[in-house]
Amino acid sequence: MSVSDRKESLRAQFQGAVDVLGYKYTPDTELVEWCLDQEVILEQKHGIPFCPCQGLNYRREKDMRIVCPCIPWHRAHFDKMKRCWCGLFVHKDVEDPDQLVQMSEAEALQ
Amino acid sequence: MVKIMIYALSTCPWCKKAKRYFVDKNIPFDFMDYDLATEEDQNRVRRDFEKRNLDLSFPKAFIGDKIISGYRPDDYEKALQEAGVP
Repeated sequence: MSVSDRKESLRAQFQGAVDVLGYKYTPDTELVEWCLDQEVILEQKHGIPFCPCQGLNYRREKDMRIVCPCIPWHRAHFDKMKRCWCGLFVHKDVEDPDQLVQMSEAEALQ
Repeated sequence: MVKIMIYALSTCPWCKKAKRYFVDKNIPFDFMDYDLATEEDQNRVRRDFEKRNLDLSFPKAFIGDKIISGYRPDDYEKALQEAGVP
């Protein structure tokens, strides 16, 4: 499968997965394209489309928590930010993702 | 001048923005792209982060004794001001 075909496959697959969680793709289309491109590259390298903004721990139980879409593993944290860590997905009611702030899990759950 | 270190990933758009913030302000900083680092350096970073109870989400900016997770220009500004960077 070509890179662009795989990217479109992931795009469709993720759409269904995040919709039921109350999330959608960010309206920032440039960010969407960048993140999906990086995930295809990460999948080619590691066999799994990991989050492009979280580092591998090389411990399976930890790394499985950053497989995109990783929302279920970080639900309270991401719900507080109204976005996932990399910003690929935002809450369905978000129209301006630039207003959303990245914050650590500890900060979000204080 | 306060020491500034940015931990980043080459695949992360927010990491690029974080680096760009300091470049645009002409503030010198060091950085490491964790995913491009040697295994030894990655191990060292993980051990250091674990000791500090930090996860491996990027970017992370170390500005003096302040650690800022995520792309947070307002917090960078505040930390720089507190460190006396004009």
